[in-house]
Amino acid sequence: MSLTRLAIKSLLLRPARTLLTIVSVAASVAVLFSLLSFNSGYQEGLQKQMQQMGVHLMVVPIGCPYEAASLVLEGGEIENYLNESVAEEIAGMEGVAIAAPSLMHAIVRPEDGRTDIYLGVDEKHLELKNWWRLNDGEKPGPGLLSEDDAVLLGWDAALIEKREAIGERIWVPEIESEFSVTGILEPTGTQDDGFFYVPLRTAQEQFGLEGKITAVQVRLTDPSMAAEVADALDARFAGVEIIRMEELLGSMTALMDSARALIFAIVAVVIAISGVGVLNTMLMSVFERTREIGVLRATGAGRLHIFSLVWTETLALTVIGGVTGLGLAAVAARGVEAVIKRFVPMAPQEAMTRFDPHAALICVLAILGVGLVAGIYPSLRAAQIRTIEALRSE
Amino acid sequence: MARGVHLTDHRNKGWFIVTRNGQLVHATGLSRTYTVGRREIPALRGVDFSINRGEFVVLLGPSGAGKTTTLNLVGGLDRPTGGSLSVAGEVVADGSVHAKESRLNALRREHLGFVFAEFHLLPTLSALENVQVPLIWADESGRDRAEALLCRVGLGHRLTHRPDELSGGEMQRVALARALINQPALLLADEPTANLDTNTRDEIFGLLRELSDEGLAILFATHDHELAERGDTVLRLSDGVIVHD
Ligand SMILES: Nc1ncnc2c1ncn2[C@@H]1O[C@H](COP(=O)(O)OP(=O)(O)OP(=O)(O)O)[C@@H](O)[C@H]1O
Ligand SMILES: [Mg+2]
Repeated sequence: MSLTRLAIKSLLLRPARTLLTIVSVAASVAVLFSLLSFNSGYQEGLQKQMQQMGVHLMVVPIGCPYEAASLVLEGGEIENYLNESVAEEIAGMEGVAIAAPSLMHAIVRPEDGRTDIYLGVDEKHLELKNWWRLNDGEKPGPGLLSEDDAVLLGWDAALIEKREAIGERIWVPEIESEFSVTGILEPTGTQDDGFFYVPLRTAQEQFGLEGKITAVQVRLTDPSMAAEVADALDARFAGVEIIRMEELLGSMTALMDSARALIFAIVAVVIAISGVGVLNTMLMSVFERTREIGVLRATGAGRLHIFSLVWTETLALTVIGGVTGLGLAAVAARGVEAVIKRFVPMAPQEAMTRFDPHAALICVLAILGVGLVAGIYPSLRAAQIRTIEALRSE
Repeated sequence: MARGVHLTDHRNKGWFIVTRNGQLVHATGLSRTYTVGRREIPALRGVDFSINRGEFVVLLGPSGAGKTTTLNLVGGLDRPTGGSLSVAGEVVADGSVHAKESRLNALRREHLGFVFAEFHLLPTLSALENVQVPLIWADESGRDRAEALLCRVGLGHRLTHRPDELSGGEMQRVALARALINQPALLLADEPTANLDTNTRDEIFGLLRELSDEGLAILFATHDHELAERGDTVLRLSDGVIVHD
């Protein structure tokens, strides 16, 4: 027999109550762990996505800029359009390296539970996305979009369409057109993977939007000049929004920071509540076992022994709960991620929650801290029990 | 009755710890007055007695006489309000001077064992584990010794049973083994047979008698006159004083 063994056996006296307490601790640790690992994953993913874009400015029709940018990045329909001449004018401006026009159109297929985003682009887009590679390792050349019925598939789009080979044809009943696959892109880990790229002209014709575009993505010769060029664009064009990607990233991060502060405040409350639950359970247990504690004293236990016993019980409760919670969180991470992705703007496509040992350590320390603190009062009460009164009590 | 363990084999520790005049327990003018609110309840009013090693002392008295109070004082669970008391070489109290609590804990751990009318076993532990509880505080392991003791009290076949799977007599045997695991010099028994039928009572008493014959001193509190004659010495307690006939 050891003190630890006695402590664990004592917890079995009221198995239901012990189990409930463990579950509550586990739940709060699971929430804490999920949020911690989601947070680091999200931060990383967002940054990667932004850097990869190689796009410094985005010119979109007027509207809420972040909403619009988010739509462009995530795919979705923008109500207003720009004239395609805007792209040409921007291309001629000082400091602009590439100005790539694009026309986005969504084909919603609720019966299949999917929405296909068609992006009309020209060769400038391929120039802009110079990190793209085809699945045969080649750099995509302008020839891929030279035919009117050409379609270049993003990696995920190809998976969804179940197309693997060049030359396969895709029938789009909504517009009564057929496309021929000219290439499949390697995965980039960004939203680009989900799109169907078609020639800009084709998109304009098929979707009845001749001469229209939904966005101009701009790369600058010198990214540090973003503010100046944005000002110049603003002065020149009416009815457009100019979005600086670095600002967008900053706003997203700021938004996340405040959301995170709130979330962590909630987690702190959840953990405090489970700490109070542990304290309550142990206090009840001490009161119920008053006589037993008297007996232990009669068999030679000192106050310090009794204190250690109850403290060990509390720690055992929280540690068992904490480890259970970590396990739970690791298993449930996928589901949690899916939920979070629905509520957080511009969630990166990559897995955001992965088992982060650093986060796990923080959780273990946090719950140990809770256990240590929650255990003090019940342990003191137990140590203060007067033996003769305890032995007389029923 | 299994005779696997002969207590005198390993009781040397307690054997030599006696007070200067050769007594294990020596009490003079021992008093305990409880204070409840502003009321004073004199439960023990200056009793003198001593217990020699291996002596079987029956503390006989009606309910409320002060038997439990006496046992608590000798066991260092409570402090006297007057008189002096020494137990196993430790001066528990001498007038207003009292031993430190840690000394009393050590005294119980090393030299004393308790059994109670209600057995007081831990419900979630097996018989074997219950017997080993005192070893936790002594920082010892003694599974073999616990097993041997359970055999000695006739429960070798009930090692893994939990208290709710044992009869009253069996529970008291487990409690007795627990009291003996630290090889005490003195067993403090507070009406250990009060909740047992006559047959079981006699069995337990017989077991105690054997242990006493092997050198264990016993202070046995009871209101059962029948048992009084079976001890070596009888202390008749009435209303907090010892009466001599
Ligand atoms: N903690 C206490 N506070 C106040 N009074 C007490 C306390 N403990 C005992 N008493 C009183 O002291 C007297 C002696 O009590 P004690 O328990 O020693 O008697 P006892 O001989 O063991 O009786 P019983 O056979 O009923 O167990 C009783 O009148 C009891 O009410
Ligand atoms: Mg009593």
